[in-house]
Amino acid sequence: MNANRTQVEELVYDTCMLLDARDFKGFLGHCDQQFEYRLSAYSPEIKREMTWLDHDRAEMEDLFQTLPKHNTDPSPLTRNAVVYKVTVEETGKRASVVSALQVFKTAVNGGVTQLFAIGKYFDTVALDGDAPRLLARHVKLDTRDLGWGHHIPF
Amino acid sequence: MSRTSAQWTQKPKLPPTHYADPVIYSDPDIFGEEKEKIFRKVWHLAVHESEVANPYDYRVYQHPGGTQLVIVRGEDRKIRTFYNICPHRGNLLVYEPAGNAKKLVCIFHQWAFNGKGDCIDIPRGEAGYQERLCKSDVSLKEVRTEVGYGGFVWVNLDDNCGTLAEHIGPALDYMLPELEAEPLETLWYYQAHLNTNFKLIHDTNSEFYHDYLHYYNRVTGMLDPKSGYFQRKYTAFPNGHASVGSMEVKYDAYKGSGRSELGWPQLPHKGWKLVDLFPCITFNLRTSVLRIDSYIPLAPDHVILEFRILGLKSDSAGQRRQREKDAAVIWSPFGRNLHEDLLASSGQGAAMAQGSEPMYVLQAREEDHTIHDEVGMRHYLAEWSRRMGRSASNPLAVPLARAHAA
Repeated sequence: MNANRTQVEELVYDTCMLLDARDFKGFLGHCDQQFEYRLSAYSPEIKREMTWLDHDRAEMEDLFQTLPKHNTDPSPLTRNAVVYKVTVEETGKRASVVSALQVFKTAVNGGVTQLFAIGKYFDTVALDGDAPRLLARHVKLDTRDLGWGHHIPF
Repeated sequence: MSRTSAQWTQKPKLPPTHYADPVIYSDPDIFGEEKEKIFRKVWHLAVHESEVANPYDYRVYQHPGGTQLVIVRGEDRKIRTFYNICPHRGNLLVYEPAGNAKKLVCIFHQWAFNGKGDCIDIPRGEAGYQERLCKSDVSLKEVRTEVGYGGFVWVNLDDNCGTLAEHIGPALDYMLPELEAEPLETLWYYQAHLNTNFKLIHDTNSEFYHDYLHYYNRVTGMLDPKSGYFQRKYTAFPNGHASVGSMEVKYDAYKGSGRSELGWPQLPHKGWKLVDLFPCITFNLRTSVLRIDSYIPLAPDHVILEFRILGLKSDSAGQRRQREKDAAVIWSPFGRNLHEDLLASSGQGAAMAQGSEPMYVLQAREEDHTIHDEVGMRHYLAEWSRRMGRSASNPLAVPLARAHAA
């Protein structure tokens, strides 16, 4: 259990570092072939969950391949995750992981760092291989106003 | 050859209708005039009726004219709008963005009001006011409200304004079959604070020449000569509104587009219709999703954008998910196009900030009103000039102080 927890924590933290570095290939290297990614936020104005990204693995690959062709804010993001809870299924083959997430943006021009968004990762992790793999990631944002937005998933 | 300061700030050798003085995008006094002469006089899209679906539902709305409003569906199912202020000591009456309450009760001293704006309770009223003031003296201030054009709730702060239909005119006729085919429902509502002028964002919605900004639009429209992209035409309507003709969008040309075959009732297959309404509303219907932009300008260089994505009330859970997926590809805060649009508008705001000595802004493309013609922006600024009593290309010809006094 402790070994699993350490591996799971390192998986979460590594995905943050890889996305920070825009190393999308490295990020997908941690994802299962059945990987599903979802990013949502709850609107108290309309009392509804809004899904702003909803991709399977193939769609994530397409997204990462097309992003270089777009005009994107070049300011780097820094994802700071703290793994709160790791719940391993009785079979020992899967774990549910809840992590707090803060995303900071450092302006490429001048270097001012601002808090960009907060939320949580709700990850499903496969434990039946040599190393843990992400089966699913649901990013639930508390922040809804993201200014001019961003192209890179959290 | 690069230009000197005098050359840089020289008026273009074009008709004055074809360029704008950049001061209209940054001057605080002009912005103050816009609030009085435009925002507080015209109809604004406040919410969608699905956001106040049941009796006693309410939604707050920060009006672009500067007044806080609360929109309430009464027991009689009628939607009314009131100033969101308690007539006693001027506190906000409603703090939550949305809710359901049989009566609106001010947290401060518990004065209570019903869905018709009547004051129905003043704690210890007679003890304090005796015969000098009664509940009927302190009802809420009601605001002109109409529901229409797809179930949207429109408000106007001017008690003496014309009807909503007079303001819209025929501008939305082109989209009415799609807007009124079925009841709609708001799927997304979110805001974005941006440091730019509201007109710069509306300009972007009013011209398609900026499709060069969007890789997505280039490959799904511009690059296919059969798409009808370059045949799309602008139609200008009274009161500063304009629409853009439809086309068939080639979504499969974009890898990972995710656009489905879901479609929209009455809309041609993979069609795309857009209507810009003066002064800051855009109806944008693209294949399976209706996007509504509306703005709350806070200062000449600060605006809150409100984005709504709507689907059909009759949608199944699967259809709703697909509609959200379709919207997310280009229009969510992580979407390909929205981020690019807002980057560009914010860049304009930074480059043309007050005191930065910007040049006159060109709006001079003429292509027989087809898609890269800039007639949409020119038509908008013609209405702006009419309402403001000052030309957009020479706005300071009428001194600002004199304009305020008038």
